[in-house]
Amino acid sequence: MAEKGASTLAATSAALDEVTAFLRERPRLRTLGVAGPPYAVLLVFFAIPLLAMVVVSFQDGEIGGPWTIANYTAFLGSETYLTVVWRTLQISVKVTAIVAVIGYALAYSIVRFSRRTTLLLLLVILPFWTSYIIRMYAWINILQSGGVLDSTLSMLGLPPVGLLYSGPAVLIGFTYVWLPLAVLPFYASLTNLDTDLIEASKDLGAGPIRTFASVTLPLTANGVVTGVILVFIPTFGSFITPRLLGGTNNIMIGMVIENQFKSAFNWPFGAAIGMVISVVVVGLLIAGMRYGGGLFAREVEEP
Amino acid sequence: MALLRVQGLTKHFGDLIAVDDISFAIEDGEFVSILGPSGSGKSTVLRLIAGFETPTAGEITLDGANVVGTPPFERDVNMVFQDLALFPHLTVAENIGYGLKQAGMAANERHERTERMLEMVRLDGYGDRSPEELSGGEQQRVALARALVNEPALVLFDEPLSSLDRKLRQHMQAELQRIQSETDTTFLYVTHDQEVALAVSDRLVVLNEGAIQQVGTVDELYESPVNRFVADFIGDVNTIEGRVTAVDEAAVAVDIGTGAVRVPISAVEGVDAGEAVDLCIRPHQLHLENGAVAIEDDYTFAVTGKIRNRSYQGSDSMYTVETDAVGDLSVEVRGEAYQVGQDVTVTWAADAVHLYRREGT
Repeated sequence: MAEKGASTLAATSAALDEVTAFLRERPRLRTLGVAGPPYAVLLVFFAIPLLAMVVVSFQDGEIGGPWTIANYTAFLGSETYLTVVWRTLQISVKVTAIVAVIGYALAYSIVRFSRRTTLLLLLVILPFWTSYIIRMYAWINILQSGGVLDSTLSMLGLPPVGLLYSGPAVLIGFTYVWLPLAVLPFYASLTNLDTDLIEASKDLGAGPIRTFASVTLPLTANGVVTGVILVFIPTFGSFITPRLLGGTNNIMIGMVIENQFKSAFNWPFGAAIGMVISVVVVGLLIAGMRYGGGLFAREVEEP
Repeated sequence: MALLRVQGLTKHFGDLIAVDDISFAIEDGEFVSILGPSGSGKSTVLRLIAGFETPTAGEITLDGANVVGTPPFERDVNMVFQDLALFPHLTVAENIGYGLKQAGMAANERHERTERMLEMVRLDGYGDRSPEELSGGEQQRVALARALVNEPALVLFDEPLSSLDRKLRQHMQAELQRIQSETDTTFLYVTHDQEVALAVSDRLVVLNEGAIQQVGTVDELYESPVNRFVADFIGDVNTIEGRVTAVDEAAVAVDIGTGAVRVPISAVEGVDAGEAVDLCIRPHQLHLENGAVAIEDDYTFAVTGKIRNRSYQGSDSMYTVETDAVGDLSVEVRGEAYQVGQDVTVTWAADAVHLYRREGT
């Protein structure tokens, strides 16, 4: 038995030696062997579907329909749709700003003032262990008229607010869901910040606020940009949260796209909207990377 | 009046007593070093003076005013950090001008002062570079300029030179002294490196385990250390165990295993007959004689031994002599007249010796 195992092992290692020798003589094949699989994944699951969407978005009415640019002209010429895009942008900016401020404050207090950082970080990411949908239903329960929030308010002798299906409900839901996504990059960049630099700033006469503005924030700008991107992009494309918490007055563009695919069965139109939104988001990202970083740096240079 | 006066300063971290009731004063324009091994509390003293730590007890008086409780950004003190702590997102000029900007100085005046400072530390033309592009020595100069540009009453140094190689360190020491005399600023320098401290300081504060061992000029510490720790820490020293056999008005008789030798009373801190003592003697105060020589002198120590090792130190040689009576001795003599393996007698005058009561007896 052992003998047989040993001989199998010897055979395997001999075969492996042959393969390595074979590849050693063909460096290009070897490179392909290493780099190929990840590129194949990207190609199959990212590039091809994207290309398919581009193709479909130029077809009329259904997949395989005649070629047209009507999907784009219809979308860009419709005030209703553009209003939805504008509203989506506004909500996304608000959510990103709220999450950035709360998330930064949270990460800062965890890094600078707490001892049990691991425990606190665990608490921050704990909600991820529950399904997104279930957490949204929990918020419906809290926010609906006569729900947890209203009954708590009435116990305190305050009038009910009935927030469900309103703008604030959407903001609350998004803030809750994305907060951990922002806290983690903020935390990472704050832990990398050398505390000597903060002391040096104070030593040179800068109070806490000026130290924060001219040392802490600029040196954690990378983490802030990462967190902001991680929050902004999914918010812009989100459709579950606004559908469950926003009602009919808070339609976002993700809901429109979803509708085209699932209810209206107009895939080409949905694909066209998706393309436009992708271009807008990528454009905003590039602008944000270029000017966002510059903003932080300039703030320091100016007197 | 002293520029800085530290009175009964104490700092506890939980159960650990980092700084234990220390007091010293620094005069305006002095260059003072706090010298001690790692963990002696010297950095904590500096951080207390800078305002990064709050003392458990005691007073810190700067220019006549008690500054305990004053935050660091309101103290007229600037610090050069051990790892320099230059702002990586700012240029060299912005780093130096940082303190001036916090003080609300106009941009053109700030620029002028920064340029002057760059000249002073001999970095003219480096203003627009990033600190990361500079060499270690250049970064040291930037950190120094940044601390000096605000014209503080006192500049604190937390061993900033320790990361430099020997040659660059010696060069920076000289630069420090030049800049100190040019700017007429008071420097307080913390280090574990006696070489740096001896080279640059007017006075030294020797710290061990949170307590001051001795304060004095380099000469005072070297010539008359008050205890074995200081003798050992400042310069090289041979420590020999002995026992006091008798005490009279003029001298103390000490036996190191070769018969009693009379040590003049001036070199001795109150010891009694029968006590165990440590006898400290510098290597250059020892002498070598060929072979076994009998010394008929009550005031001279003599031990026989064999030369085990020799190392050249410029015009001097440092010999390690293995003796039967007192173990290994380091002997520094001119020239190189003796060979390894040679039998010798090591002698030294009793009045060159420092005698300390042994710890724990």
